[in-house]
Amino acid sequence: MRQAGSETFSEWLDRYSGRLFVMPAVLLILAFSIFPLIVSAWFALSRFKLAAGGYDIRFVGLLNFRKLLIGSEQYHFLGTFVPKSTLGWLAIVVVAAFIGRSAFLYARSGRITVFGLLGRTIAYAVFGSLVWLLASTIGRGGQLGSLGTTLFYVCCGLALQFTIGTALAWICAQKIRGRTFFRVVFFIPLMVTPVGIAYTFRMLADMTVGPLAPIGQVFGFGAFEWATNQWSARLVIMLGESWQWIPFIFIVMLAAFESQPRDEVEAAELDGASTFQIFRDITWPAVAPIAATVALIRMIEAFKIVDLPNVLTNGGPGISTESLTLHSFMQWRALDLGASAAVAYALLFVSTIFCVSFFNFILEPLRRTRQ
Amino acid sequence: MTGTWFAKRAFVACSAVVFAQVAQAGEFDGVTINIMTFTGPQIAEPLQRRAPDFAKLTGAKVNVITVPFSDLYQKLLTDWSTGTNSIDAGVFAPQWMVDYVTPGLLEDLSERVAKDTAIKQDDIAPFFREFSQKFNGKTYMLTLDGDFHMAYYRADVAKELGLEAPKTWDDYLAFAKAAHGKDMNGDGKPDFGSCISKKRNAQAYWFIYDLIGPMVQSKGTSQGAFFDTTDMKPLVNNEAVAEALRLYSETTQFGPPNEINLDVGDTRTLFISGQCALSLDWGDIGSLAIDKEKSKVIDKVGAIITPGSKRVLDSASGKLVDCTADTCPYAKDGINHAPLAAFGGWSGGINAKADPKVKDAAYAFFSYMSQPEQSNVDVTIGASGFNPYRLTQFQQLDNWTKAGMSEEAAKNYLGAIQDSLNSPNMILDLRIPANQRYQQIVLDTAVARFLAGEIDAAATMKAIEDGWNEITDELGRDDQLAAYKSTIGAK
Amino acid sequence: MRLFETKQLGEMAPATKIVVYGLLGLWTLIVLFPLYWVVVTSLKLPIDVANGPVYLPFVDYWPSLHAWKYIFVDIGLDTFRPYLNSVIVAVASTCLAMAIGSLAAYGLSRFSFRPRLVTVIVFILGIAGAIVIVARFGVDWRLAVAAALALIIIASRALQKAPSPHLSNSDVLFWMISQRILPPVVAAIPIYVMFQQLGMLDTHAALIVTYTTVNLPIVVWLMHDFFMSIPRDLEESAELDGASRIRIFVEIILPLALPGLIATALLVLILAWNEYLLALFLSTARAQTIPLLVSAQNATRGPQWWYMSVLIIIMILPVILLTLVLQRFIAKGLLLGAVKG
Repeated sequence: MRQAGSETFSEWLDRYSGRLFVMPAVLLILAFSIFPLIVSAWFALSRFKLAAGGYDIRFVGLLNFRKLLIGSEQYHFLGTFVPKSTLGWLAIVVVAAFIGRSAFLYARSGRITVFGLLGRTIAYAVFGSLVWLLASTIGRGGQLGSLGTTLFYVCCGLALQFTIGTALAWICAQKIRGRTFFRVVFFIPLMVTPVGIAYTFRMLADMTVGPLAPIGQVFGFGAFEWATNQWSARLVIMLGESWQWIPFIFIVMLAAFESQPRDEVEAAELDGASTFQIFRDITWPAVAPIAATVALIRMIEAFKIVDLPNVLTNGGPGISTESLTLHSFMQWRALDLGASAAVAYALLFVSTIFCVSFFNFILEPLRRTRQ
Repeated sequence: MTGTWFAKRAFVACSAVVFAQVAQAGEFDGVTINIMTFTGPQIAEPLQRRAPDFAKLTGAKVNVITVPFSDLYQKLLTDWSTGTNSIDAGVFAPQWMVDYVTPGLLEDLSERVAKDTAIKQDDIAPFFREFSQKFNGKTYMLTLDGDFHMAYYRADVAKELGLEAPKTWDDYLAFAKAAHGKDMNGDGKPDFGSCISKKRNAQAYWFIYDLIGPMVQSKGTSQGAFFDTTDMKPLVNNEAVAEALRLYSETTQFGPPNEINLDVGDTRTLFISGQCALSLDWGDIGSLAIDKEKSKVIDKVGAIITPGSKRVLDSASGKLVDCTADTCPYAKDGINHAPLAAFGGWSGGINAKADPKVKDAAYAFFSYMSQPEQSNVDVTIGASGFNPYRLTQFQQLDNWTKAGMSEEAAKNYLGAIQDSLNSPNMILDLRIPANQRYQQIVLDTAVARFLAGEIDAAATMKAIEDGWNEITDELGRDDQLAAYKSTIGAK
Repeated sequence: MRLFETKQLGEMAPATKIVVYGLLGLWTLIVLFPLYWVVVTSLKLPIDVANGPVYLPFVDYWPSLHAWKYIFVDIGLDTFRPYLNSVIVAVASTCLAMAIGSLAAYGLSRFSFRPRLVTVIVFILGIAGAIVIVARFGVDWRLAVAAALALIIIASRALQKAPSPHLSNSDVLFWMISQRILPPVVAAIPIYVMFQQLGMLDTHAALIVTYTTVNLPIVVWLMHDFFMSIPRDLEESAELDGASRIRIFVEIILPLALPGLIATALLVLILAWNEYLLALFLSTARAQTIPLLVSAQNATRGPQWWYMSVLIIIMILPVILLTLVLQRFIAKGLLLGAVKG
């Protein structure tokens, strides 16, 4: 009896093992994503107010979003608009041409689906308007909002981290003495808690009592304060963020370079190809899909930046270093839950578009060409 | 420091006798009180230090739970308003009281205070007793710390330059200008004329009101410095605020190059390490300046009431007019002072939904902390973060000289506190519902953008006015007006 | 790892050698200097910090252990408790995330799933409906959830015959990964409300479950690629021998995937160990973790650099030791799956 029962059970277990394997993860993620998403959406559409007996939540429709896009918070979210410079127009034209070309190629490809079309339309619209936005807010008298600032951290930060991380990995992939040492040392910044890094950089970046103060005085810019200029403040925050995340790119790219087959490289070397040619024609194509994956992971995390601006500058000078998460966090601290959720939703929207586009337009084609 | 430590111990032993009046030994055996405040050492330090003695006296165990300062407001509020109620009492700013009182989260302490003789309410400075602890005439919090802004100057530098302590903001600027670039701590490097915390999302929104205040409010606390008490019109788009912004940005010229990124902790450190001639602060600099481990300016500090103005706002026309007996009834030598009771002083409040026994115990603990025997010692310790708020604390100099202040310095420091506290024209900090949004979001952001050069003075004033009106309309203009009038006691 | 021969160092031109080592040395300095600064700051008195930079203990200034004493002795218990909390939460959530995540990743790499779009939509509508009912009409949440689940099951049965597009494995995988995009600030308040309703605020369990979920996407993503790179022949022969799926997974796949598992676990552990925002929401006193203690050193008297430095040091040390021990797995294991593409 018992024998039979347990056999049936294990049979049953085996038959459904596929679903059983996946189910716990699906349930957990459902509970922690669908539910919060819906509740947050409801917050974003309402006003939260403390009232007798606790609190009161009133539905206000799109008011919170209207405030961000065209109302009193526009300067904060989108930025302060100024007439576009020549350079701005140039950027718009370039991006428009690029979008046009991409759309044209897609139309000719003949693999048009409803979802594909919809996705592309949204992506084009978002990218087009973001470039338009940046072109209209960067410039004399203009001011980036928290959206533009976040994009700066994501795009410029990613470019910097990716370049340095890949370069270091490539050097370390060569057979040099002390590789293990460098590998461990270069990995360290990733282990420090972001809050700790933020405070450490606040110590380091102090130009009166920090360790770099004498250097500044020697070079005669002792009076220069990074914290008073919007771009230098953003740069310092981006550098702090990069310090922590370069190791991540380094370690993954190192693995990629090391697992790359050597015979092709050696054959090319015998043919007298230069190091640069080998990198461009052999190494890079082999590691490109991994490079794209690691860039995507990094991009996903980069959109959430909050600790560094919060600790280093509290978003100042003015609003120039405020990221979207910090923007939302500050509203939430003052218990303006509606505004906070609306900003958070805007962040979710933009980062989803970015990451999904990156996945579909860059990562997938790379993976396909390699297979 | 060890000297004061023993002194404290002696006091605790004596106080046990007095304290027995309200709480009997073992009265709260087995009761645990969870009290939340921010991570110290300040404020949390005296609470933690005195908790074991309190346990010995009454049997109640006090658990001090600390969270980062910037999260205290919402952490407590979420715990209480969602009914989690894991916290029984909090030590926080009375400025936030309204957001706790309106939903009925704070226990009304009026009756308990009336019965309590040991707490000696008469000894508490009237401003704290009548305004700070109360909302709508009822006492909801017990003051443990006196908080308002004062100005500090380097007495030795003033003597050297032949300058008087500044009385008006023009004097302040002149002093800062004269002292800027001098070496004031002997390290061979030029130091700064004025250090004011101007960092965003820190304390900067209070310091701007040290300048606006004396030009806007001249007829006593109940006139109000933030809104017109007839129609809730923000008093922020007028000549007075324009002048205040001009002065404020001018002080930046004589400040450290990174002043825009300094919070009040940074300016304090700068001042007591001798790098600033002038600073604005709460009472803290006074007790920090006598800390032998940290301070380079022991007995070199002068404290004064925040500078005033010879012209005040005529709210009908939005213009500045000269002070007369009529326009500035409380002026001294034609100068109108309006010290700002920023933040309002750390005070204890009790969760209305806590267990009755725990409520009693929590009240007994706050009362114990506030009683002169404990508090008179705590306010002289820099690390406690508590500043004087009792009348005896200004009159008895010996506590201060024992803590290491010279008699002259103690007289000067306490004199400045008394000047400020006795001023009938003190500004009560904004306490209407959602005051965090008015100040920390709208005012702070606008001033930060002004200082960063993102917008000019006119746009700054308009941004504050529009932002405040928007919140007022959203929450109901009449409700907000009623709340504003009741907090400042306007008719 | 000696799959290939690289150029020997001697083959590099001396000029190249100088440049290469110069760069590596420079970067080592950039990485280590902030940490050095943290260490020396932890040995400074407040007045040493306030008076401008001093660099070398014993030479520039006289080191003091006052900060170490404060953290370990004066507030020793208050340091130890959050530290222990951090250890418990990080280790437990890492183990859970690895277990659940690698199971799911394995399932997705070996079985095919075809959930119907209609079912998914019905499910989301059902949950949204439940939330609206609870929020607007104050219905008890347990009742609402039960009703919603019943309705969802009935509706999906009824719609079983309706034509609907199917989703595929890659859609499920992408959906899981995309959860990482969700900014914590969007989810924090609802998660707070959820644990408040369950009476689990300020408990280890709440933090463990949350961190597990937040890190699941990473585990699934990395391990999925890894499992895909493991050839199937072994499993097929084991299956012919009559081994169950679970046994195959535990006895054959996991040992093969060990480097990947260790590298992924280390990454997840670091993320959980350092997490700040969610811990801030979900813990008050008992479950407070160590990053909160670090940020709390910034009080009204300005940041207490010396205490903060001590805390940062004791936070990094165990992770560095762990990395040293596991370092040979890191480069080999991390994203080896992804490497295979």
